[in-house]
Amino acid sequence: MKKYYTFLAVICLLVAWPAIAAYAHGVDITYGNTSAIQLTAKFDTGEPINGGDVVIYAPNEPAKPWGTGKCDENGSFTFTPDPVLQGTWDVQVRQAGHGGMVHIPVAGSAIQPVSTGFTTAQVVIMSASVIWGLVGTALYFSRRKS
Amino acid sequence: MKKLISMMVLFIFAVVALAGCGSSGQEPANEENNAAGAGMLQFTANPEDFVRQGFVTKDGWKLSFENVYVNLANVTAYQSDPPYDPDTGGEVSGKVVVGLEGTSIIDLAEGDENAFPILVAEAVEAPAGHYNAISWDMTKIATGPAAGYSLVINGKAEKGDRTIGFIIKDENEYGYIGGEYIGDERKGIVTEGGTADIEMTFHFDHIFGDADTPTDDELNVGAPGFEPFAALAEGDTVDVDMAVLKEKMSAEDFAKLEVMLPTLGHVGEGHCHAVVK
Repeated sequence: MKKYYTFLAVICLLVAWPAIAAYAHGVDITYGNTSAIQLTAKFDTGEPINGGDVVIYAPNEPAKPWGTGKCDENGSFTFTPDPVLQGTWDVQVRQAGHGGMVHIPVAGSAIQPVSTGFTTAQVVIMSASVIWGLVGTALYFSRRKS
Repeated sequence: MKKLISMMVLFIFAVVALAGCGSSGQEPANEENNAAGAGMLQFTANPEDFVRQGFVTKDGWKLSFENVYVNLANVTAYQSDPPYDPDTGGEVSGKVVVGLEGTSIIDLAEGDENAFPILVAEAVEAPAGHYNAISWDMTKIATGPAAGYSLVINGKAEKGDRTIGFIIKDENEYGYIGGEYIGDERKGIVTEGGTADIEMTFHFDHIFGDADTPTDDELNVGAPGFEPFAALAEGDTVDVDMAVLKEKMSAEDFAKLEVMLPTLGHVGEGHCHAVVK
């Protein structure tokens, strides 16, 4: 019976170990495979829109600019959309009273964010496991011998 | 004691099972424009500061405008999917369409130099969503002093010690289809109970050129300017229509005018697909 209790305590500690590790100088590093978008803006004549004003609209808030910028001397502009915001991204380029807009679909399969962190629910459950394991272990060792 | 052990074992299984069900924590954002309901969509016409404040042409004439009449017909706004591309042309694939009945004679010179765009009409119960395309025709006015013309430009031109009053009339009819408004703000987004506007913009510098733009700019190279009109003045007045201009203006200048007139219609700074009807 004593071996059984020891085994049980070890199981509790193993289950709770990630939570203990998370609270000891934890570092939550995330990364994602993002896809940058490069666009090139030219006038009808083929001349690049050097220094053209760029306004980016994300799919979740079409009325509010998500970002702004300027084209380089070749009319090029590069940005990386937020991978969480899937849908059509609209980018407007203007200069000298003339401009246009391009509509860029950003699909879920193209961008897949990945995180090494735990969810809040997981952390709470693991913390509860630690506490429960400690209480159980304490009860085991403090029991009266019959 | 056995009861406590049983509870611990059950708890461990529950913890392991629940932890395995954890989500990745990243949910995709919903696509835009799932709005429901209706709001107000205002159709406006904007001659820009060129007409409201006057401007100096590419050949140095200072223009001011008394009246600029256009006759707008078949004005229609679309929730276009896919977004309309004026370079490709063709019809608009509009899932939701709001159109105005009848025609509207608009004086684009109405108001002072800081006037807002002119309200043409309102659609009170426009389905919510993004109206990202618009089409309209400029047709001949049926009655009144501008009858028979789709566009009448009445103004004054000054250069040095010379002043010319001019009336330029266009008996041709045009059709415009534009994509999304291009400008400082995004237009045409109707929310439930809200008000949005969609604009028909007119670029008169395309006819006369603009002294503030480099002379070798595409705009000034293509625009006839005002000098070809001034050359047709009788006394201090120019009163011409397209038939007269074709007869009296140089072939080169008239060809430029024919090319540039259909480019008057814009959506903000975005150009339209235009046809001469």
